[in-house]
Amino acid sequence: MKQFIYGLLLFVFLTLPPVATLLESIMIIHMHLQMPLLIFSGFLMARFFKVRFPAFFYKWNRNGIPGILLFSIILVYWMIPRTMDEALTVYASEIFKFISLPFLAGIPLRDSWRKLGSVSKNIVFLIFIILFILMGWLFIGVDDQICNNYLRVDQITLGWGYVTLAACMIIYIVQLIFGDQSEFE
Amino acid sequence: MIKNNQNTLAIIVVILFGSILFYVETDGFRAYTAESARTYELLQDKPKFPSVTLEDSQERTYTFKEFGNDKYVFLTFMYTSCKTVCPQLEMNMAQVYDLIPRKYMGEDIVFLSISFDPARDNPKILAKYRTYFGSDGETWRMARITDQAELDTLLKELGVIVIPDGNGNFTHNTAFYLIGKKGHLQEMMDFTKIKETASKVVSILENEAGD
Repeated sequence: MKQFIYGLLLFVFLTLPPVATLLESIMIIHMHLQMPLLIFSGFLMARFFKVRFPAFFYKWNRNGIPGILLFSIILVYWMIPRTMDEALTVYASEIFKFISLPFLAGIPLRDSWRKLGSVSKNIVFLIFIILFILMGWLFIGVDDQICNNYLRVDQITLGWGYVTLAACMIIYIVQLIFGDQSEFE
Repeated sequence: MIKNNQNTLAIIVVILFGSILFYVETDGFRAYTAESARTYELLQDKPKFPSVTLEDSQERTYTFKEFGNDKYVFLTFMYTSCKTVCPQLEMNMAQVYDLIPRKYMGEDIVFLSISFDPARDNPKILAKYRTYFGSDGETWRMARITDQAELDTLLKELGVIVIPDGNGNFTHNTAFYLIGKKGHLQEMMDFTKIKETASKVVSILENEAGD
């Protein structure tokens, strides 16, 4: 229950208009801090929903695939440059961001991750590594201003943010493959 | 078995939801950035060029309709004090101008650069500015719109967002515009793609000639 409270507090904190405005004023903070924190708040809140509605998760997300698909769809959706612009200019889009990331990405991620086999997990990692590298390459390399609300410098910073994320994930995967896991099991 | 069915059903529902979500958000997989969404919307609407009075670098005044009478008008928006994107825009426009066969020039198509800074860009300044880019002042004219209300309507109709930054400069989005013979917005093109723009314009002119 404690986790749920922490998650809820984090969620409420992030929705406070001054906090939201501040986090959204810088592109990379918007994308790589606010959005992940929203997902994390859902991740924490998931405990409550899993305890409350165990049958629902058991029936509809039995092997974890539906959940991880939903998580991926929401994540990719918010990686479209247009959605980030519209979150700033269209009110409905901003509300959808605050609902979709915790409840349609954070909760399914938590429920699904434990149910997924190692092959599925690796596929998810691989897809997101490729995606992050592509996004990084796009944001660093493209000459145009992709988002009307942010400058090109912000865009390049975000690009490097993506590349860094991808690099971290690759390091994680490499140590999984070559490291000795027996100590942890 | 039933439980597995529910799991499969959930997968289908999620994929369906995702597809609809992406379809709606990107105008049917067409516009992935806010700028392209704006372009797409404009080309769908094909707004009519509003009635404006131009004053060109030779202090002649005429309406846009008189200038573009039964001709295509290749259009850009700029201001002469701009140090960043406008010189590049006009330079690219000059290259497009050079790529259009001479026989069409002035007959079927005319070029026009409109300044959205009428306070500073008087005919004298425009006359000097045009020489930097090889504009001849006839088939490619540079002009200002002195009536602020007319200018604002035009910018709004064509979706040009101009934000004064308070230091005498403007932040603005940039594109090549092609206005059709009837005065409707026909094409909006990426101002960095010179060759593609020129070949598109030429093919439009050729089609017209072939009819």
